[in-house]
Amino acid sequence: MNKQERLALFECMLRIRRFEEDVIRLAMAYDYVGRQHLYIGAEGAGAGACLALHKDDVAHTTHRNHGYLVARGSDRMAMFAEILGRDGGTNKGRGGPWHICDPDVGFHSTSAMVGGSIALAVGSAYGLMKQKSQAIAVAHFGDGTLDEGIGYESLNLASLLKLPVLFMCENNAKPGQRPSSMLAAKHLSHVPAALDIPTAVVNGANVEEVHAAAQKAVAHVRSGKGPFFLQADLERWPGSHQVHAAFPTGVTDIAMAWDSSKIDGKHADWIKTYDPILRHAKTLLAESVATQDELLAVDQRVTADTTKARETAEKSPFPVASDAAKQFA
Amino acid sequence: MTEMNFAEALVDALCVAMDADPKVSIIGRGISGHGAEAGADKRLVPYGDRVLDPPTSEAAVAMLALGASMTGLRMFHHFGSGVFAFEAWNQVVNEAANARYMSGGRLKSPVTYCMFHGLRQGGGPQHSASPHGAYAHNPGLEIVMPATPADAKGLVLTSIYSDNATVMLVHPTLLALRAEVPAGDYRVPFGKAAVHRQGKDVTIVALSRQVTEAMKAADILAQEGIDAEVVDPRTLVPLDETGILASVKKTGRLVIADEGPSFGSASEIAAMVAEKGFSSLKAPVARVNRPHTPVPFSPEMEAFLTPDAAKIAAAARRTVAA
Ligand SMILES: Cc1ncc(C[n+]2csc(CCOP(=O)(O)OP(=O)(O)O)c2C)c(N)n1
Ligand SMILES: [Mg+2]
Repeated sequence: MNKQERLALFECMLRIRRFEEDVIRLAMAYDYVGRQHLYIGAEGAGAGACLALHKDDVAHTTHRNHGYLVARGSDRMAMFAEILGRDGGTNKGRGGPWHICDPDVGFHSTSAMVGGSIALAVGSAYGLMKQKSQAIAVAHFGDGTLDEGIGYESLNLASLLKLPVLFMCENNAKPGQRPSSMLAAKHLSHVPAALDIPTAVVNGANVEEVHAAAQKAVAHVRSGKGPFFLQADLERWPGSHQVHAAFPTGVTDIAMAWDSSKIDGKHADWIKTYDPILRHAKTLLAESVATQDELLAVDQRVTADTTKARETAEKSPFPVASDAAKQFA
Repeated sequence: MTEMNFAEALVDALCVAMDADPKVSIIGRGISGHGAEAGADKRLVPYGDRVLDPPTSEAAVAMLALGASMTGLRMFHHFGSGVFAFEAWNQVVNEAANARYMSGGRLKSPVTYCMFHGLRQGGGPQHSASPHGAYAHNPGLEIVMPATPADAKGLVLTSIYSDNATVMLVHPTLLALRAEVPAGDYRVPFGKAAVHRQGKDVTIVALSRQVTEAMKAADILAQEGIDAEVVDPRTLVPLDETGILASVKKTGRLVIADEGPSFGSASEIAAMVAEKGFSSLKAPVARVNRPHTPVPFSPEMEAFLTPDAAKIAAAARRTVAA
């Protein structure tokens, strides 16, 4: 990977992080948002996978959706506006945070039903194959999807029909805690493997590892060999199920990558040893790919863009309430 | 009698049933929702493995509950949101609904499927369903919709001891509602409406959370000299036709307040009264439903769609003026 690609991964992850931090700020400022499923801590998986895709590849995702949309280049102003239920939102305020979609960047849907995205992506793959498209379909989903029968049915269909679909599974189940899934199999990836789908398992905190594996997986799928199941193992961010908006790990300061005295609080360990963005920053510095100043400059640009997008979204008007019952003809 | 909230009353009923009968078994988590009332679930902890926390496998778990009920357990399965129960649609409406009847009565199916329903603010298109009308469309299911803490307790206990499959729908905004609840094994009979307020000018039949809104509407109407009677069927199936018809006979006017969309419970009640109580009616029946549209996330749009006291009062005024 060259310098530009490695920096692009850094910037992409940071865009997601700054976006999510602003979502928390919005959730604190407006009382009707705040039931967000944030992507903080999973940026390595989302950025690593999404930057391996083409613009016309078609994605579907589950509830934890912001990261992929930001990574695919969706307009962040419109995303913020949707989260606020505004007319300028990606879905004109009708969908809300759980259903952000942006077909212009290949993002067909967010389903808030566990098991929704995997099955829709199989459908998209069928549509693309029948139309002899070079594009592939991607299903972003969590380990929870394999609790549902439709998870198996979808894997089976894709394998049976050799459909061009990448199954991008983010596994944040944790033994000992109530996990997001309760699978009897010791390894998630044994399930697709039993259906003859090739699999790979990577560390979701290591964006370069995810990206390299995603590029291979995408090449496999695009070459017509059928589906691929890529599993990124993740550690759950302490705020991943927020009822009340909060910053359990604080606001990320990139300088934490070289100055650990800036790290404190109850979850200092998570920041120090796990945070995928700081981890990648440390690698870039250690291998002299980038300087501290270069990283800070990226952050400055990303933070400014994000703030501007959020502030513009806050000025977007609400849709006309009485239009609620109007269907789209 | 003890004062408690709706969530505590639901859990109290489960504890009373489990204490009385070792065959009562529970599946689910978050029975008291995920808000400030959620602590009520703590009373279930000492029951250990009589309360199963299942994987996210609604269809298989619904069948586990039904199959277990056929072996003699009395199963109470809470899905969480009713929109998750859609994953088990076939299992509830085709398997459970038919199980007892198609065995010629030889099998019993004492299973209760409980779920949250309704417009809850910010649920958006996929988390705001009110599926009671759709369930009621499937013969073989008893459909239960408590609107008060006492009815929550009494209807849970009657459901658990019913040998038919029962679907219970709870509006999450009711969980905090506080009132007196009878102690012990208190049961509310199915098919018997509750008259929450007597009146002579207009009958408001209200379901679930709309009972609270109808009571507020009746207060508003009283100030204008309109005397409303508020009737809560409590169970949609069986429906207390006699009770509803008696009220309409007295008032001559009918408003039905229900969060569900068209083609549902309000339509059925209106049709029933048109067929069997036409001569009592002095004005056309009015329905206060959510408009027949997906539920938008945007808060003002959702509020626009949500039936409430003001909309019920407006409908009542129309029937009185007609
Ligand atoms: C059909 C269905 N059942 C239950 C839920 C409730 N639910 C929301 S998120 C979630 C956990 C999902 O876990 P996973 O997909 O692994 O995502 P994670 O939150 O761990 O990122 C569940 C069960 C749902 N959304 N849909
Ligand atoms: Mg998970």
